[in-house]
Amino acid sequence: MSSFRFDLLLILVFAIHFAPGLSDLVISKLDRRIDLTSQIVRMTLTLKVENTGTDPVSEVSLTFPEHQANNLALLVAVSTKGKGKSRGSATNLPIKIKQPNDSPPSLIWYAASLPKELGKGESLNMDVLVVFTHMLRPFPEKITQAESQLFLFQESAHFTSPYNVKVQSLTVKLPSENVESYTKLENTKFSGSEIKYGPYENLPALSYSPVIIHFPSNTPFAVAKELVREIEISHWGNVQVTEHYNLIHGGAQSTGEFSRLDFQARPHLRGASAFRNLIAMLPPRAHSIYYRDAIGNISTSNIYGDSSKTLLEIEPRYPMFGGWKTSFTIGYGLPLQDYLFQLGGTRFLNITFGSPMNDVLVENLTLKVVLPEGSRDISVSVPFPVKQSQETKFSHLDIAGRPTVVVEKINVVPEHNQYFQVHYKFSNLSLLTEPLMLICGFFSLFVACIIYMHADFTISKSSSSYLAKLQWDEVQGTIQQLQDIINRCLLIHDKLEASLRELSRNGDVQACKAVRKSADGLLKDFSKESKPLLAILQSSPQAAHILPKVEELMFNRHRWKQRGPLLFGHRNLLE
Amino acid sequence: MAQSAKPISSPVPDAWYPSLAVLMLAVGLFITASFFIYEATSSRKNRSLAKELVTGAAASVFLGFGSLFLLLASGVYV
Repeated sequence: MSSFRFDLLLILVFAIHFAPGLSDLVISKLDRRIDLTSQIVRMTLTLKVENTGTDPVSEVSLTFPEHQANNLALLVAVSTKGKGKSRGSATNLPIKIKQPNDSPPSLIWYAASLPKELGKGESLNMDVLVVFTHMLRPFPEKITQAESQLFLFQESAHFTSPYNVKVQSLTVKLPSENVESYTKLENTKFSGSEIKYGPYENLPALSYSPVIIHFPSNTPFAVAKELVREIEISHWGNVQVTEHYNLIHGGAQSTGEFSRLDFQARPHLRGASAFRNLIAMLPPRAHSIYYRDAIGNISTSNIYGDSSKTLLEIEPRYPMFGGWKTSFTIGYGLPLQDYLFQLGGTRFLNITFGSPMNDVLVENLTLKVVLPEGSRDISVSVPFPVKQSQETKFSHLDIAGRPTVVVEKINVVPEHNQYFQVHYKFSNLSLLTEPLMLICGFFSLFVACIIYMHADFTISKSSSSYLAKLQWDEVQGTIQQLQDIINRCLLIHDKLEASLRELSRNGDVQACKAVRKSADGLLKDFSKESKPLLAILQSSPQAAHILPKVEELMFNRHRWKQRGPLLFGHRNLLE
Repeated sequence: MAQSAKPISSPVPDAWYPSLAVLMLAVGLFITASFFIYEATSSRKNRSLAKELVTGAAASVFLGFGSLFLLLASGVYV
């Protein structure tokens, strides 16, 4: 508190000395709305800036005291031309921190560059949204289970602007209709759940009038101390998002004991400061959603899906009181064609940056985008400043690892949940390396099998059992060859029979004779081939028991051959 | 943007993954069976290395693609 007062003194001293050295912009109307309905404080400024000097102005500066600027998560300024019905298009103004040399260090300046210079006498409407985190201080800092949370909020009723303000007012919206205490200045009104300060007229630049509001709030204060969000792209059709949360209840710390009985019996009286559910808005067509933690799957969750979003409602294993922590993992898959696009030779991924959870403040966000192996020329474009780096992740079927882009940011609010792009180059042929690896794996198994069958691992090459085995192999080979020859003979016989049947059908003797001639030739070849094989069989001792059967087969075949011409002879006689 | 961005999707339609997996694995296993039958019934003299290698290569191609589509169909998007 003492440092706060010192800053105030410094600003007041500075205001007296600094006033003449500024450009001649004047804010003719300023309306401030501060929204305290959640843990993230949002301030909306609607101002009308007029150039009362002679030089054209290209920048409008906004100043915030240091303790506010340190907690500033997002500043967006939009300018519109015209008013009311003739409102022109809104253009986003680029903001940068620009500290003039003679400004005290406890005042931080943000300069919004105008698209077109503001000439003499012209005026411009601006809408500014400022998002602050950690601005609400719990007071008392420790509460029991039965009490509800009270917060302190410190602000200035006069906006510390570097320009003179003609008319300004401040409206503070509270989460409920109760307020413990608030600073009563002139023109203060409290109605419903809003406190209105103003309108104040003709205030000099950098005027400051502190107000302190002490109010109750039981809206969920979910703060993620650390969120690691991993987005893995697979060109086979899936974007897998895995989010690891380390959540803490950022409101007033809970002291004393926790009585589960009281909490379950009267949750509104004993446990008003706790929150049970968290709601996440996932994109539509999200599938395979899971919610688990270090223990295992958490089944207290619900999914309501429609064509524009998938609503995931999760309930941690216990209600979250002040200072309590929980950590869990949420994962879901998204179809590839909604997020990956091709432009010219490069591909780019278009996906949201922040956490899909409603109203969760993330203190440390680490976003990892894992691109498939073989991606080159990777670049990231995020609409706000972040810290980037690259690393490699080894996953399924990887040889060199997948290139990963790591983006880090501090103090991420739901307004940061915008789309960002990751550009890279990838050729579809690199997709084939994955099945190729699997094919090589299977082929190596087959090659190992072949080598095993071909290799001879016996130790002694002259033992009797080894020699007997060799002879057995040889006999087996010979019999197989004989079998082959006999099968071919059978085919010839079938052809002959077919030709005989043809003959009985259409009486074409010539064709039948031709077939018989070729069959005779082939059969002669076969008998020549089988002679050496029979010789091997006769010489080998292993073939002793099978030799008679083979000889019987040969004999039978020979007899059939002799019978064949007799049949033909009959036919010729008939003719 | 000068040209409009075209969405990229998988070269093989998603809905075909399970059927393709079953088909390719069935053909692959069939060819594997014929490979092993050839190994078991042929004798050392008659074995032809070319036939073995060709059968093994064909079987591994089908088994490789079949196992890839099996992984994709079961949700492991490699």
